[in-house]
Amino acid sequence: MAFVGDFFGYITSGFLWNGALIAVEITCLAMMLGLGLGLVFALMRLSRMKVVRSFAWTYIWIMRGTPQLLQLVFIFDALPAMGIKLDSFTTAVIGFGLNQAAFSAENIRGGITSVSRTQSIAAASLGMSSFLTLRRIILPQAMRTILPGIFNDIISMLKLTSIASIIFVSELTFRAQQIVGQNFRFFTVFAAAGAVYLLMTSLIAFVQGLTERHFDIERTPAEAGPLSRMFGFRRPQNNSQASDGLAIELERPGQARQNNERHWLRSLVHRRVEQVDAGAPFVVCRNVQKVYDGREILTGVDLTVHRGQVVCLLGPSGSGKSTFLRMINHLETMDWGEITVGGARVGYDAIPGGLKPSRNVAKARADAKIGMVFQHFNLFAHMSALENVMEAPVRVHGMPAAEARKIALQLLEEVGLGAHVDKLPHRLSGGQQQRVAIARALAIKPQLMLFDEPTSALDPELVGEVLSVMRRLADAGMTMIVVTHEVRFAREVADLVVFMDGGKVVEQGPPSQVIDSPREERTQRFLRSVERPMTDAA
Amino acid sequence: MSSRAIGFGLGVAVAMALISPATAADAACEPAKVAQKYPGLAGKTIKIGADPQTPPYIMRDKTDFNKVVGIDADLSRAVFDCAGLKYEFVLGAWSGILPAVQSGQLDVMWDDLYYKPARAEVVDFVIYMQAATGALVQKGNPKKIARIEDLCGLTVSFGVGSSNELAVKKQNEACKAAQKSEINMMPFQDLAAGLRLLDSERADAIMWDLGFVDNLAATNPEKYARGFAIMDGLEVGAAVKKGNAELLQVISDGMQVVQKTDQQKKILQTYGVDAALQLPAATKTK
Repeated sequence: MAFVGDFFGYITSGFLWNGALIAVEITCLAMMLGLGLGLVFALMRLSRMKVVRSFAWTYIWIMRGTPQLLQLVFIFDALPAMGIKLDSFTTAVIGFGLNQAAFSAENIRGGITSVSRTQSIAAASLGMSSFLTLRRIILPQAMRTILPGIFNDIISMLKLTSIASIIFVSELTFRAQQIVGQNFRFFTVFAAAGAVYLLMTSLIAFVQGLTERHFDIERTPAEAGPLSRMFGFRRPQNNSQASDGLAIELERPGQARQNNERHWLRSLVHRRVEQVDAGAPFVVCRNVQKVYDGREILTGVDLTVHRGQVVCLLGPSGSGKSTFLRMINHLETMDWGEITVGGARVGYDAIPGGLKPSRNVAKARADAKIGMVFQHFNLFAHMSALENVMEAPVRVHGMPAAEARKIALQLLEEVGLGAHVDKLPHRLSGGQQQRVAIARALAIKPQLMLFDEPTSALDPELVGEVLSVMRRLADAGMTMIVVTHEVRFAREVADLVVFMDGGKVVEQGPPSQVIDSPREERTQRFLRSVERPMTDAA
Repeated sequence: MSSRAIGFGLGVAVAMALISPATAADAACEPAKVAQKYPGLAGKTIKIGADPQTPPYIMRDKTDFNKVVGIDADLSRAVFDCAGLKYEFVLGAWSGILPAVQSGQLDVMWDDLYYKPARAEVVDFVIYMQAATGALVQKGNPKKIARIEDLCGLTVSFGVGSSNELAVKKQNEACKAAQKSEINMMPFQDLAAGLRLLDSERADAIMWDLGFVDNLAATNPEKYARGFAIMDGLEVGAAVKKGNAELLQVISDGMQVVQKTDQQKKILQTYGVDAALQLPAATKTK
């Protein structure tokens, strides 16, 4: 019984708890420093510049490879010779923080690389800057990978602060040792210190559970807090509650509603057309060339598109049509040639003798207002349909959230997803996801829509719903460039059909010419190969 | 003896006579005169580095863990109070203290530090007591350990890298030479860990500072006893960074007073340490 009494005497000892407090303070501050710096080093490790990569690599190599104890003694005792004299606490925070940065950097890098590249490509197509993409798209999704590692590190650090006794930090373990050094009752004292640690680490584990739940996209949505708003987890719990009047209005059945929205869609498109001379060419591509690893992808593509035109790019796989499409909004760089959209070069500045990439390509993309739809949808996996659509208007174009929300709800209604606005992408079918992607691209009020094989990844029965949305968009007068294998769609909707092969335009003209009576042998062969399965399917 | 030599001797005697009143005046506590006596230190807080796991020199107070007590704690308080200087104890692991004094993070290491010529190359000492080694054994000395030669064939524990380690190793060679069983050596990182070896009978004896051994045997007669003691002639002192002459003077002056007024003897007795271990305070810079 004496043991129990003593144990509780120590476990409630202010002397020990003050030590615990010091350990917690050091851990909190050092962790913040470590995570902040760790993110910087993780990004440096992923940098395209070798110098930057090497610097980060070297830092991590040294900090991970040398004992923490020696690092602390070095900071505390060697820096004074250079005129930098830090006190014990500051030394501990900096020492643990710098060491943690090396470990966090690798952890965070792992998280970032675990997020699919398609997410950042989609963000880029919406004109989001690298930083915005990182903060809103990449990190929230990387969190699930990163968090367990971070909490491991927090717990390790809390316990490891005891080595700071070498630089005169008197935290929990060292205090327990001091008591034992005085009365040699190691069992009771260490048991009490152990219990204090267990209590603290249990608390950390509890917070870990809460945080992981927060970033778990497969869970049902919870109330959005400031953190979730910061990191793009704003997921309204119940849409009909959140937007009451508007939702009711949108749910009006019947023809009236349809006409109303068709009118709205038309206004979205036409507003831009009226501003400029409709007769001038809108998208002009001249002698566009691209080489990948010594292989010629594009060998000189010329194309002119007028406002309101629908252009379908046909061609076999590897003909360079997708690469070409991505150059129009500068998702791919050009090696040679020139592309202008509405007279502007997207992401290039003219210099004497050629072009050079702009300093701020993201802004150039945003200003160009080119919407893009991808083969694999590339919806932001952690955001609801509504949030996907609202993201760019709010974050890139600075639209007030309420207005963006109204437009997003209208768009989703327009593509037939009014009932699914709060669903996460993985809860939607492929066809539904692609319609969300179209709505997302339309939300930036684009003057040009690019479609990169929008139906190729869909089950046959879902192709129709996506094509019908595209058809309506074309009817409304949207300028569209569509890479597709849907020959029937091209025949019925396109104003201009372009057949590409081997990195160049083989044949172009109205569908009646290119599809129904192609002149080139290669075009004929391609059409035979794709049209047969199509008719079979029909 | 030539007259010149006598003259020189007289001159020295006169000089001594002139100096000694001054020395006597110095050997008194004048905290109010700190600004005159130690202008470079007045107003500063002296940082005393110590490891509170080294009883009976520096340790936590039994009744109030927030207090630091011990021979060296009491001595340093007496010295800096005497000089009228402010001070604080900066507590940390033993091996970190001397580097911190060298780097200027701390002003003085005052914690049962043995004088060694190698150490005197980086710090200056004020010597004030003698170190001796004691062998702590279990109550009743079951293995009959009465001198160092008795350690042959037994398990002995000591601080890793300590002077005791050298003594035990030397004895081990002697055991081998005498064709006796070798000593089983178990070095420990901290004293409490070493004591646990003795408690659990994993070790037959612990070699450590005699002051500690006697103190522990006196306060825990139901558990421990002193096996033997070796007066190995080592000196204990407070250490300041090389070149910090003024602080060295403060400690030297203060120790003179503390010894003259028998404060040191009383402090040693308080902690159950033989007062005969006291050495006249002396500065050692080499």
